[in-house]
Amino acid sequence: MRRGETLAGWLLTLPAALAFLALLLLPTVAAVTLAFTDYELGEWPPNWIGTENFQEMWTDRGFRTSFRNTVVYVAIVAPLSVLGGLGLALLIESAARGRAFFRAVFFLPVVSLTVAMAAAWQYLLHPTIGPVNALLRVFGIAGPTWLSGSDTVLISLAFIGVWEAVGFNMVLFMAGLTAIPKELREAAAVDGARTAWDRFRLVTWPLLGPTTLFVVTISLIRSVRVFDTVAVLTRGGPNKASEVLLYTMYTEGFTYLRLGYSAAITLVFLVIVLGLMLLQTRVMDRRVHYG
Amino acid sequence: MLNRRALPLLAVPALAGAQTATEITVHYAQPVIFKDSYDAIAAEFARREPNIRINFVTTLNYEEGMQLILRQAATNLTVDLSYQGFNRLRLFAERGIAQDVMPMLRAEGEPAAMGYSPTMLALAHFGGFQCALAYAASNPICYYNADLVRRAGGDPNAMPTDWAGTLALSARIKALGGGTEGMHYAWSGDDWMFSALLFGHGGRMLTPDERDVAFAGAEGLGALTLLDRMVKDGGMANLSRDAAQQAFAAGRLGMFFWTTAALRGTMQQVGRNFELRTGPMPIINAQLGRLPTGGAAGMLTARDPAKREAAWKFLRFSTSAEGTTLMVQNTGYVPTNQLAIDEPRWLAEFYRANPLFQTATRQANISIPWYAFPGANSVRVTQTMVDQQSRIVQQQATPEVVLADMAAEVRRLLPRPRG
Repeated sequence: MRRGETLAGWLLTLPAALAFLALLLLPTVAAVTLAFTDYELGEWPPNWIGTENFQEMWTDRGFRTSFRNTVVYVAIVAPLSVLGGLGLALLIESAARGRAFFRAVFFLPVVSLTVAMAAAWQYLLHPTIGPVNALLRVFGIAGPTWLSGSDTVLISLAFIGVWEAVGFNMVLFMAGLTAIPKELREAAAVDGARTAWDRFRLVTWPLLGPTTLFVVTISLIRSVRVFDTVAVLTRGGPNKASEVLLYTMYTEGFTYLRLGYSAAITLVFLVIVLGLMLLQTRVMDRRVHYG
Repeated sequence: MLNRRALPLLAVPALAGAQTATEITVHYAQPVIFKDSYDAIAAEFARREPNIRINFVTTLNYEEGMQLILRQAATNLTVDLSYQGFNRLRLFAERGIAQDVMPMLRAEGEPAAMGYSPTMLALAHFGGFQCALAYAASNPICYYNADLVRRAGGDPNAMPTDWAGTLALSARIKALGGGTEGMHYAWSGDDWMFSALLFGHGGRMLTPDERDVAFAGAEGLGALTLLDRMVKDGGMANLSRDAAQQAFAAGRLGMFFWTTAALRGTMQQVGRNFELRTGPMPIINAQLGRLPTGGAAGMLTARDPAKREAAWKFLRFSTSAEGTTLMVQNTGYVPTNQLAIDEPRWLAEFYRANPLFQTATRQANISIPWYAFPGANSVRVTQTMVDQQSRIVQQQATPEVVLADMAAEVRRLLPRPRG
């Protein structure tokens, strides 16, 4: 009987196990293996070169720029989209009317196709025919070349990133807010928390802990993953000013055909994402108050 | 899937009599630009070779086309004939994927007599052999907005022929104000437009033995200084190529210097917004100046003899006088077959009716192959050149500094001599 149950258990997990093996584990192992070779598309067989790819990365100006840009991008997008999402959620929660409307408006960027939205942004930020610079000209300001200037390109992309992520975070925070019983806030008001800020600081914020933890993690990972807008709008330019990790990985592998080096960058990316997840779950989990 | 459907036909040749049907897979890039031309050629080809069936595979651009063939070459090559960008052919020749087509061409007769001029053959001659046949050729031209030129006091019928006059006109158009830009030189895509400036000065990319850079001298400095003057004297803004093209179509950009291949697309974008004209590139050096040739060439990859034969027939037809004529009529490219140029029965009528298409054809005599860098880093070299030029366009460095950095970086990426 028990043996039959065990067998059934194995059989039932078999499809999922096979899928995991074929679609996740094997490709990952293959990518990790490739990272230690000099494999180039069209050149077979590859040679085992040990950690040479990683040594090259260390001195590669392109990779260093790309790494730095990704850090800057994440440092702008993650905090702003978390705070923005929280602010919007609180505002909409407290609104008397039009909740559904505003929720939909801010959620739209999340459900729309990034590539299509990138085209819309390209038009909005167009230096000569775009509405943004046309508006600036009305006030006599010569607008910058948003997406083609070294100084502005990363900020422009980060702004688009925030715009895209803020609605997603808002919905997550709203879900968290509805889980907080109204009585708690009322009780706090009775106990002397007179201002809205006090009630937020003492009741809402601590109870939102688990939600915030999740939102922060997902925002960090999502912004490390930035690719579409770069590929569509700037292609890493000008002069690598908007090169980010995933885009570098893509160009190294598929434009320069160096799949080995590209796999090594993938590995670095994987370590960063795993590291973020570990950091979040291990370190912050202990400090979050679960109500 | 289509291949499988063709199998029964291959297996029972007796039923079809003496002839057997062969199915081949043909790849080309940029269907937006090329689809009409290949469809027209395939329709005509089907009438002559009813037993060859063509299965088209397309990729969005040349880059993805290159990836497709390289990926297949590493696993299982199902494409029998692939049309690739001129600057990628060298890579396929060096990696042993492209085949020598010269024996097959010679078997049909003297190449020059069939319209394959030495100039056009040279466009696809890499790795010491004829690795492809030119299908469509292009060179850079000047697209201009005749309305803006007139408003700025210029004469659209007598455009400046040198850069000094062009830059002055650009500055006047920009001075019209309201967000109007004078000119854009499409430097940002790859090394192609830079090579137009370098070849225009009579320069070259590498030394004849390809061991060292040859652009670090006076010609290269002249090219970068000209780019610098476009910004300083011509008022060229730091636009991406896409942004410039959009501004041009919207009637906010006076002159746009880019490939003639974009002609049909530009005409469609512009519509009736303004009067579109095309003109030759301003002359830098009348004696030594040359222009680079862009475009695509058909590369034979089939290994199966029957498919190889069929693929060759299609390649031969697509590059014949008749194929070239269909290609020209359906794109903005320059004819590659000399017979189509020399014999008036092919294209004379078309050019009379479409004068905008004539510009590039007039420049064909000074066009030379698009230089393809040797070795594994060939694509990276072109990106390095683009990155360096952006420092000039953004006025972050002088042409002298950029030239030195560019030379140093390209030297580092060249293959090191062995032994």
